[in-house]
Amino acid sequence: MTQHVSPDLSARVGSLLLKNPVMSASGTFGYGLEFTPFYDISRLGAVIVKGLSLLPTPGNAPGRIVETPAGMLNAIGLQNIGVERFVHEVAPRLTDAGAVYVANIYGRTIEEYEAVARRLSEVPALAAIELNASCPNVKEGGIAFGSTTGGLTGLTRRVRAATGKPLWVKLSPNVSDIGAIARAAEEAGADAVTLINTLVGMAVDPRTRRPMLSNVTGGLSGPAVKPVALRMVWEACKAVKIPVVGIGGIQSAGDALEFLLVGAAAVQVGTANFRNPNACVEIVDGIRDFFVREKISRLDDYRGKLLLP
Amino acid sequence: MQAKFVHGKILRNTGSGIFYRMEVAIPDRIDFVPGQFAMVSGWPGNDPLLPRPLAIFRSGGVRGKGTVEFVYKVVGRGTALLSGLHAGDPLALTLPLGHGFDFPGEDRSWWLVGGGVGFSSVFPAAAALDGQRADFEIFLGARTRDQLPPGEWIPGGTVPGRVHLCTDDGTAGFFGTAAAALRDRIDRGKSSGLAHVAILACGPREMLKAVAELALPLDIRVQVSLESHMACGFGVCWGCVTAVRDGEKSVYRRVCREGPVFDAKEVAW
Repeated sequence: MTQHVSPDLSARVGSLLLKNPVMSASGTFGYGLEFTPFYDISRLGAVIVKGLSLLPTPGNAPGRIVETPAGMLNAIGLQNIGVERFVHEVAPRLTDAGAVYVANIYGRTIEEYEAVARRLSEVPALAAIELNASCPNVKEGGIAFGSTTGGLTGLTRRVRAATGKPLWVKLSPNVSDIGAIARAAEEAGADAVTLINTLVGMAVDPRTRRPMLSNVTGGLSGPAVKPVALRMVWEACKAVKIPVVGIGGIQSAGDALEFLLVGAAAVQVGTANFRNPNACVEIVDGIRDFFVREKISRLDDYRGKLLLP
Repeated sequence: MQAKFVHGKILRNTGSGIFYRMEVAIPDRIDFVPGQFAMVSGWPGNDPLLPRPLAIFRSGGVRGKGTVEFVYKVVGRGTALLSGLHAGDPLALTLPLGHGFDFPGEDRSWWLVGGGVGFSSVFPAAAALDGQRADFEIFLGARTRDQLPPGEWIPGGTVPGRVHLCTDDGTAGFFGTAAAALRDRIDRGKSSGLAHVAILACGPREMLKAVAELALPLDIRVQVSLESHMACGFGVCWGCVTAVRDGEKSVYRRVCREGPVFDAKEVAW
């Protein structure tokens, strides 16, 4: 009889050692506490909280989401309670839930990014900061900085200097050379890059002749974007030495394994949480089952082991 | 009670025209308040991607073995796919979700107004009131006759004078909208006083706004259940928000979490 030793799923993202490579993606998981009725969120590698700005942000007018083939467009407009309320009302409750937390941040100006990063540096419950340099739905939601190597370098350098926490930079896919963008983040001091944020898309109603979203355009997510995301993660992995966290349309353990195979250090699961609140833990369990079945004892024995023709 | 994500099995899913009643076996009994809903999916594959919000009609069973029932209308791809499912088919459900209708203890005359798919939130309210032997009337509006739910499905609907069916084209019942029928009812009720009347309404936003404009000036309390496109249904996507008054300003609140039932006075129409 073979003895089943549980495979070692621990994943390293820079200086952080996570118990497994599955995290929730920002904007799809609230502040994490919304999921505690469903399962113990400390079972995840990490929880990335909803994007925080310096001041509370009302978000875009309704007409914020629309379903598209195997995907959805959103233009929420980063509605959030602002960094001060987060620090006072939410952060104290995070420690109780026992998970590893990463705060996603954005600003309208570089100074706002710096101020948010500085404030969050004082929060012990946070293991890292993820810089949103890629939200397509607010004019200054990062995409202004994240779509050129020059803009991204400037932003990353300044925020890097503002915090001692590990700094991850979330990249936009709405660029022509993702490898060059990832390299810019690396050279500016990022500890990791996370990608992809949503792809800019659009939907209109042929009868009313109006856009389906009040913001006109929105960010496409879900299974529809997965092949594009996988290709970009693969390219980023080849371009940089820092860890790459893969995101984009992951619905199942099989999807997550594809990203790990092309070299991602870990993955984030986003839209899948909307249709199945247990998606993230089911993916953790599915990866473990796959490793047991395939007799893989450690994540590192599998990660990045893509066999090219 | 706190929401749960469960796997269920369809016990029956039977239709009358475009209207369906679906009963589902679930692992545990749930308690719910009329107006609360479930996010439901049961089709294979990723398209459509998102589950569909369905008002909970009824729940039953015991601890460790529950049932939940929905009454729904086929309006799009998701509900069309649901209507094609059979007894024995699996279903994924997150429930119960949202903030339902508030039924204060005191004696009232309840007027329930449902337009379009809004009947599905009005039915559980009617069933609860019928169970309490409360005094209530129902106004159901639709564009045309075959868009109205089957009369025999209306909880407590056999009581004479209780049900007011309304069609925009006059093919059944009152010739006009449910809000117009409500206006006539309010006019008839003015002589005997309206202080004891409370309104629960669910339907298209224009209908809800019309109901609020009719009733609020007369100091009738109105609770509205809003419709919105939702991705998650449990408060994390922030896609379903509606503008709600907050002093001089308005703020965006989640229809799925702070709603779907709001006091009509709070809503920034």
